[in-house]
Amino acid sequence: MPSRILIVEDSPLVTDAFSILFRESGYDVDIAATVAQAVEVATARPADLILLDISLPDGDGLEVLEQLRERNALPRATLAMTGHGDSRSRQKCLDAGCAEVLLKPVAISELLRQIEHHLA
Amino acid sequence: MSMTQQVSDAALIKRLNALEAKARDSQRTIDELRARDALKTQFLSNISHDLRTPLAAIITHAEILRDGMLGELNQKQRESVTGIVNGGQQLLDMIDEILTYVRSASDKVNLVPSEFSIAELVDQVRVLNQSLAAKKHITVERLNGDDLPPIYADRDKIKHALGNLIGNAIKFTADGGRVWISFSRRGQDESELLVEVGDTGRGIARDHYELVFREFAQVDASPSRPHHGTGLGLAIARRFIELHRGCIWVESELGKGSRFFFTLPLNAARE
Repeated sequence: MPSRILIVEDSPLVTDAFSILFRESGYDVDIAATVAQAVEVATARPADLILLDISLPDGDGLEVLEQLRERNALPRATLAMTGHGDSRSRQKCLDAGCAEVLLKPVAISELLRQIEHHLA
Repeated sequence: MSMTQQVSDAALIKRLNALEAKARDSQRTIDELRARDALKTQFLSNISHDLRTPLAAIITHAEILRDGMLGELNQKQRESVTGIVNGGQQLLDMIDEILTYVRSASDKVNLVPSEFSIAELVDQVRVLNQSLAAKKHITVERLNGDDLPPIYADRDKIKHALGNLIGNAIKFTADGGRVWISFSRRGQDESELLVEVGDTGRGIARDHYELVFREFAQVDASPSRPHHGTGLGLAIARRFIELHRGCIWVESELGKGSRFFFTLPLNAARE
């Protein structure tokens, strides 16, 4: 069975592009645009990997991890995506349990490499 | 009290009132200008952020096409799509530079200091610039610095300043040229670190030594100028160095090259 990736990102422009990329690479894809939606989708259909935008309309993306931890529904790995690469926000993501912090926009070769590595 | 005395008192009071009104007007104008400046900064920040998202999506779509994930492209198609990726990336770099500038120009910039080796940081920045330098056959060398004590500063900001200086040096140096970075200590008790980023590029006229550090300024501002950019790189570098109580300046000769210098306190107080 193909691995399932949950894309948590509020811009449909970005989720459209990632959906094509991941489906063409052989993954199943779910999409959520808010913290609440992400928790709901990941609880109903556990993801193997979450690609998580840090700034979401209804809060900090890292809250998704907190709530999934309480529900015992954490994925195997979470890759955070952030707009600015300062070391403080990076450390905050790692402390919250993200396996990697990627600077937006991520080159697709690098993104696919990271996903493959963390699902291996 | 004489008549003249009364008249002159009344005139004085009138004049005083007029002056007070003028002062109030001036204050109002200052407040208004400040508010407008803050609004402009906020606007720049918002628009830069909002430009980033669709641009990121464009680049990702173009990369998907370029890498043949939706079917193999012929060479012409691939070259064209690669042009979209590269153009998008360049635009994105410029937006990021504007965002960095807007953030650095606001009053609420905080330094996040830590201890690190500046020689290692220079090496990281050299690696980041390697492909551009290799394309132009330019060597980028660090001449010394292995024995320097660690410095205590905001690593991200010093890295950004170094990146802008080294990137510029490569950009404005002709093919086959040389870029170098060297360190020395100066000041009382050698308490200051002096960093030099030098190049064998086209150089800067003395009249322009100050201008190059001004925001949005480029020595050649014509639309046909050979080097495009936001004109913010050195303004950002200056802001970041000055936040550390350092100085930044340039010494140069047209046609021979430029040497950019900045200082950092070596024994900055740890909080």
